[in-house]
Amino acid sequence: MNDHKSVGIVMIEDDEGHARLIEKNIRRAGILNDIRHFTDGTTALDFLFNAADGPAKSGPAMILLDLNLPDMSGTDILTRIKAEGSPLKRTPVVVLTTTDDKVEIQRCYDLGCNVYITKPVNYESFAQAIRQLGLFLSVIQVPDAED
Amino acid sequence: MDVALPQRLSIKEGWIGRILIAFMTLGFIALAAAAVAIGWITVRNRTYTAEILHTQDVRQAIATLQIEMEQSETARRGYVLTGQPLFATAYLRTAGKLEPAIQDLRHLTSDNRRQIDRLDLIEPRVAELRALRAQSMTLVAAGRIAEAQRRFMVDASVPLMRGIRYRLQAMAAEEVRLLAIRSGRQQWTSMLFLSVAGAAAVLLAIVAILAILVIRRYTTDLAASRDSLRNLNETLEEQVAERTADLSRANEEIQRFAYIVSHDLRSPLVNVMGFTAELATAAAPLAELVDRAEAEAPHILTEDARLAAREDLPEAISFIRTSTQKMDRLINAILKLAREGRRTIAAERIEPAQLVDTIIGAMQHVIDDRGATVRVERPMPTIVTDRLALEQILSNLIENATKYLKPGRPGEIVVKGHTERNRVILSVIDNGRGIDPRDHQRVFDLFRRSGAQDQPGEGIGLAHVRALAYRLGGTIDVQSTLGDGATFRLNLPAIMTIQDAA
Repeated sequence: MNDHKSVGIVMIEDDEGHARLIEKNIRRAGILNDIRHFTDGTTALDFLFNAADGPAKSGPAMILLDLNLPDMSGTDILTRIKAEGSPLKRTPVVVLTTTDDKVEIQRCYDLGCNVYITKPVNYESFAQAIRQLGLFLSVIQVPDAED
Repeated sequence: MDVALPQRLSIKEGWIGRILIAFMTLGFIALAAAAVAIGWITVRNRTYTAEILHTQDVRQAIATLQIEMEQSETARRGYVLTGQPLFATAYLRTAGKLEPAIQDLRHLTSDNRRQIDRLDLIEPRVAELRALRAQSMTLVAAGRIAEAQRRFMVDASVPLMRGIRYRLQAMAAEEVRLLAIRSGRQQWTSMLFLSVAGAAAVLLAIVAILAILVIRRYTTDLAASRDSLRNLNETLEEQVAERTADLSRANEEIQRFAYIVSHDLRSPLVNVMGFTAELATAAAPLAELVDRAEAEAPHILTEDARLAAREDLPEAISFIRTSTQKMDRLINAILKLAREGRRTIAAERIEPAQLVDTIIGAMQHVIDDRGATVRVERPMPTIVTDRLALEQILSNLIENATKYLKPGRPGEIVVKGHTERNRVILSVIDNGRGIDPRDHQRVFDLFRRSGAQDQPGEGIGLAHVRALAYRLGGTIDVQSTLGDGATFRLNLPAIMTIQDAA
């Protein structure tokens, strides 16, 4: 992405199929950024905060977060990321989930989620949304972890 | 517990209480009998006492007669012996009393034949005696004392007196005999009186004890039932709260279950749909390849490959699509029901007629398209309930009414309402194709439909309607015969009380 440091995409999604579909559609939108995929919250958080090549230590990142994870709720991860004093406070988070419950959407925005996308069963609109997200990714400026 | 309470109270007034009351009643009857007996005995006793007194009087009268007779004799003899006028006056005084004494005695013994008989014998003798005495007195008064003495010596006065004395003694003896009999009777009645009075006293004591027992029993029972009532009262709120909490918990559990199930079912469905789309995408170049092969090198193309690319693959993909879409709609329906159960409801005053007008307005084009008319019968009773829920119920019912018409008969739908005590019944009546009575319960079940499946729908509307009706504290039922229209009756509390603590 021009002179910017390449933005790494961290995808936290327990469903392999969903992850594959998301990745496919991001690629179709022409986004070639590196995508790291995690299927559970614990290893994902470990990577986000502690890994040497993780977003907290180096490089800007963007997080795609599923709310239903086997070991913890996506909102817990969101809370950790957006907590006061967190090195990832400014990292954009896109919540991707099957729930279109108003209360849950509101809660995610309250916690600091930047974009909320429901995974519709109607695949075309889903693919559309992911592709638009890809376009969005190509134009946003992601702040550096170190500021 | 509220069912067991009246039963428990009535058992306390059971057989022991009834036996006690029976004994008490018997006791009171016995006491009354004793009182009557005592009264009768007292009357008898008074009669016997009067008889005894009468006997004493008779004896007194007999004695008086005898004394008068003896005294007058003594006076006569004194006069005959001495000629002293003192004796003459004494004689006159006593002799005059003889006749009244006899009359007195006759009067007293008038009820006794034997005494009267005796008196009848005594009376002429006394008269004879008096005549003899009068003679003596006259002679002495005339100074003929010697003659008087001589006559006295020979006259019959002594045997006469002896006879009279003897008869008077007999009379006295008779009276003594009577006295003995009457005293005996009086004693007997006295004894009877005492024993009856004693028995009555014992009875009184027993009745008193029984009465105390009965009263104590009732008091204890009353205290016990009062206590249990107070207990129930005190714990009632608690129990209601407890049960409400239980119900809400169970309800919440079901809602959560439905929510999780539908939510988690959606996740794999996203994959099925997504990869089906991927498959379709992948099939397109394959079909293209087959087309090209057919045009350029028909010999490499097998019949199987052509069928697979042109028919089998698109057909399979299409079936997967429609199925997953249907499944998605079903899951969404469950999700919607689950969410509806979680929605907080609020009671407000609603004019159903206005609400129905709004609903008709919103679906006017659908109604017109289907060639139906909806009429609202006014007035409709006001109701206090949740507006959104009622709107959804009525809109579902009206929508259904316009949807399932009998072919060849323009739909006529009537919405009306009336009050039954503290409930409001809203009816949606149509002249449509009707519902088979076997399906009257089934149509309210989720995903169940009735009759010809010629209309779009998943069998969700009425399930939703019933869930909402229950939520509002109401019920819904249907009356219909096949081919003859249907009447859906929504029975709601006129004033909804929000019960769930959730």
